[in-house]
Amino acid sequence: MKKIILLFLFFSSAILAQQGKIAFEEYDLDNGLHVILHQNNSTPIVAITVTYHVGSKNEQPDRTGFAHFFEHLMFEGTENIKRGEYFQMIQNAGGQLNAYTSFDQTVYYEVLPSNQTELGLWMESERMLHSKIDSIGVETQRGVVKEERKQSLENRPYGSILEQTFSHAFKEHPYRWTPIGSAQYIDQATIEEFRDFYKTFYVPNNAVLSIAGDFKIDDMKKLVQKYFGEIPKGSKEIFRPNVVEPKQTAEIRDTVFDNIQLPAVVMSYHIPAQGTPDYYALNMLTTLLSTGQSSRFYKELVDNQQKALFVGSFPFSLEDPGLFLVYSITNMGVSPDDLEKSVTDEIKKVQENLISENEFQKLKNQIENSFYGDKTSVLGIAQSLANYYVFFDGKTNLINTELENYKKVTREDIKRVANEYLVKDNSTVLYYLPKSANQVKEGK
Amino acid sequence: MKKFFAVILFLAFGSTVFAQLNRSTPPQPGPAPKINFSNYEKFELENGLKVFVVENNKLPIVSFSLMLDRDPIVEGENAGYISMAGDLMRTGTKSKTKDQLDEEIDFIGATISTSSTGVYASSLKKHSDKLVEIISDIILNAEFRQNELDKIKKQTLSNLQYAKDEPGAIAGRMTSVLYFGKGHPYAEFETEESVENITLDLCKQYYQEYFKPNIAYLAIVGDINKSEAEKLVKKYFENWQKSEVKKFNYETPELPEGNVVAIVDRPNAVQSTIRVGHPALLKIGAPDVIPSNLANTVLGGGVFRLFENLREKHAYTYGAYSNLSSDELIGSFTAFADVKNAVTDSAVSEIIYEMKRIRDEKIPEKELQKAKNYTNGNFAISLEKPETIARFAINIERYNLPENYYSDYLKKVATASADEIQQMAQKYIRPENSYIIIVGNASEVADKMKKFSANNEVKFYDIYANEIDPAANAAPEGVNADDIINKYLDAIGGREKINSIKDIAVESNGSMQGMTFTMKMNRVEPDKFYQEIQIGGMTQKTIMNGDKAVSISPMGNQQITGEDLTKLKYDSDVNSTAHLEKYDIKTKVTGKEKINGKDAYKVELTMPSGEKRYDFYDVENGLKVREAKTITSPGGSFEQITDLLDYKEFGGVKFATKMVQTMGPQKFEFDITSVKINNGVNPSIFEIK
Repeated sequence: MKKIILLFLFFSSAILAQQGKIAFEEYDLDNGLHVILHQNNSTPIVAITVTYHVGSKNEQPDRTGFAHFFEHLMFEGTENIKRGEYFQMIQNAGGQLNAYTSFDQTVYYEVLPSNQTELGLWMESERMLHSKIDSIGVETQRGVVKEERKQSLENRPYGSILEQTFSHAFKEHPYRWTPIGSAQYIDQATIEEFRDFYKTFYVPNNAVLSIAGDFKIDDMKKLVQKYFGEIPKGSKEIFRPNVVEPKQTAEIRDTVFDNIQLPAVVMSYHIPAQGTPDYYALNMLTTLLSTGQSSRFYKELVDNQQKALFVGSFPFSLEDPGLFLVYSITNMGVSPDDLEKSVTDEIKKVQENLISENEFQKLKNQIENSFYGDKTSVLGIAQSLANYYVFFDGKTNLINTELENYKKVTREDIKRVANEYLVKDNSTVLYYLPKSANQVKEGK
Repeated sequence: MKKFFAVILFLAFGSTVFAQLNRSTPPQPGPAPKINFSNYEKFELENGLKVFVVENNKLPIVSFSLMLDRDPIVEGENAGYISMAGDLMRTGTKSKTKDQLDEEIDFIGATISTSSTGVYASSLKKHSDKLVEIISDIILNAEFRQNELDKIKKQTLSNLQYAKDEPGAIAGRMTSVLYFGKGHPYAEFETEESVENITLDLCKQYYQEYFKPNIAYLAIVGDINKSEAEKLVKKYFENWQKSEVKKFNYETPELPEGNVVAIVDRPNAVQSTIRVGHPALLKIGAPDVIPSNLANTVLGGGVFRLFENLREKHAYTYGAYSNLSSDELIGSFTAFADVKNAVTDSAVSEIIYEMKRIRDEKIPEKELQKAKNYTNGNFAISLEKPETIARFAINIERYNLPENYYSDYLKKVATASADEIQQMAQKYIRPENSYIIIVGNASEVADKMKKFSANNEVKFYDIYANEIDPAANAAPEGVNADDIINKYLDAIGGREKINSIKDIAVESNGSMQGMTFTMKMNRVEPDKFYQEIQIGGMTQKTIMNGDKAVSISPMGNQQITGEDLTKLKYDSDVNSTAHLEKYDIKTKVTGKEKINGKDAYKVELTMPSGEKRYDFYDVENGLKVREAKTITSPGGSFEQITDLLDYKEFGGVKFATKMVQTMGPQKFEFDITSVKINNGVNPSIFEIK
């Protein structure tokens, strides 16, 4: 009897060691398409993601917005999929789909009940093999993208923060424009340019197909070969910019008048690329500053001083060096310079005093919690796997081991990165003021 | 130990897994996948707390979700206090301040949120003990403090300001009041007034009466087994005292006898927000739920009939859908779309046509199959969250559903027949007993909407869903806009004096959100304008010289052209009211309202662009007391109201020397410190480089 219990204990601890670990297989097709498969049969659904390693940084300065425009164009259909059918077919299968474009990548995904897996593979392979690029589609999407720009950027309160921040902070690197780009360039582009962009970047050797969910690995390999194997490898050279942003030497400061109700202060600082040791320290620093209601910013600025309605920080980590953002919205009756001073005071505290062991332990606990929190859905897993492969030098297994990199960060590191990066000469400070402040109608 | 039946088969439709690749048609759904329902376990404490455990070892995370099962409550003139009581739960206990709570929660990297009917908490398994200690302290020993309530009230008022004019929010209030009737708990919403009324005692009282174990369900999901869960729950919830909780009964709302058309006027709206619907007596878990949901899916799920008709065929809208909800008291059916003004009646007509078609015609088998695929897919995807299983388990207990209700769900979907679904449509989708609600431009759409009403009449409501009589605020007979405007111009000095102003210089001080600024303005008739604002050490200028205009700010220069220039010409004219013809502005008296306690005529100005603005004139002394216009952006549309106060005379003409402008939560005041007339202006300031 005792033996059985012992055996049982051993067995269950062996299982525990495996817990949270994401098993996966990865390989390349002959055409260069990188495939990552994670089998998980607990729910009968499948997440299919295709990541194209092209974002706004691969654009030419006189053709900004191209990558994002393409994301839209790629829903216009193929020889076999009529306009509008991408959405209809997936929705009618009870599935979900979407796509997004960032500075570095363009991602398409579907989540489907697993008996509809082939539908998703067929659609994504159609997109990669022979998307329709004609003048009707281009015209339609020109209108749609302009509308999206208006909705998300020009009219949404604070919607231009990303564009304003990056265009002020970057002088040379293509991060100086954002994925939405400028409408005029899309208007100027010819149909040949669109076809050329497609043949350059939307090729299997520039893509990762990451699938997670309810299937058998061997069956899925055959299906992937069936739908993607025949797609020809791209023959054009893939443009990757090789621009190093010169070091910033003096503070940049400006004002933006926007359709907003309350003023905002947006501060940003240049930081190293994702995956570098300081990237992990900066992620811990942002947790210290703004994760949870006991975080430095929230406790002091929102709860105690009540100067901010909202305050947050976020390391915008990218393939090339990115920006650390600190953004806050003033409470009623508080001026932006008053709020800025309080934000800077909080940063100063981190720069001058080592955080306590206790607070450090809190950060570690918070990081550990978020490490597992990303893995609760097959879609999240498929996306993470692709992301690690593409942007962390092919280290797909970081999905299981990245916590180790956080464990190497010390309290001294957090203080050091605050002093190294969150400093005046490395900063861009933008005040967002209500448009009405410069549209006052004079006396009556 | 209870168990969901283990295995369900999806309907299979011939498999083509490894057939020759033919790209021209979409692959058919593959072989039937199996749905393995997770098991759940259940136990109950002596105080009546019912606990459900769903073990899932994929990740070392455990979540706890407590839910109170109480009857809906009428809040009346204190609407909002129950939800504030829920927010207050997270702000302190008898032994811990908010700071201490925040610190403890963040220290273990946990998430905790509270509401009026429950608490949700989640953390890594290794912190579960601490986590449950914290939530039990919150649930058993909450202590509400006045300063925390004040903070929540302030926030709620800001949000209300922001959202009260939003068309979707207005439509939401309209459906709830019309469907369920004032006095029903589902017809309540917060207003500025009701929020002001809320007291700490009311919130405390709610907490003390309703946070009781005998009406509570606790779902524990994740890396935990029954015995671990039992140990934890006993340790921290055994001392929770039970007590009787009040019950309430409500009359069941009736459907309207014929269609009722209700309009909320938003004079500047370019889109109409349409809602067509009615209450539906569909109880959670009733046998009708599955087939009636299939009827609704064919009508207005994802890409089905409403979408195909209104968007694909007619291009009236970006999306058109419908929703049929079941509820323990009373559910509802609503079809909805946002459309351009001009097609409002056509869109309503198509919505009603589709509602009739689903009622009168049997659904073709192929279309029904599409709806079943859609339902199967949604159901499968929802099962990914272990919380779904916990919710199913609690629903079975709470609503007395059969044990196999959810495990048989897809079987029932598969076997629902077209005949049965048509019967459901006849019962729950009622195109002749609906409220047809339009939030939009009444002057453009109201007349065309009459034909949809059973009595050929249209009812009008304000943004808080109070019925209003448009006649009560109508302009009195025999008053016309020209007379009102002339009286105003006479009151401030007369046209002759006004037109003798060749140039004017105004200086003023202002404040906004705690920031102060100064402003200088020069205008030389007929079309030169210069304005300089100094704010926070920065300068912003606007210059107009004939048909050229530019705005100069630290962000750079921007040409002002087209409609913006037309507006600037009007807005920069300090006596624009004397020059309406010049700006091609049409006027009309549209009503009489009380402004700051005094009667004022409301005059509608139609700008050349079609935009409508409103000026208000004191009935007695003729002075203009208010200007109103709507500023629209996707983040919300706001009425900008400018009150004009303290008229003083400068060079024979009276000017309002104090202006108070409100727009959403933003308030902005300024005072004129100096006005100089016909003093000469250096022409170089109008130069545009």
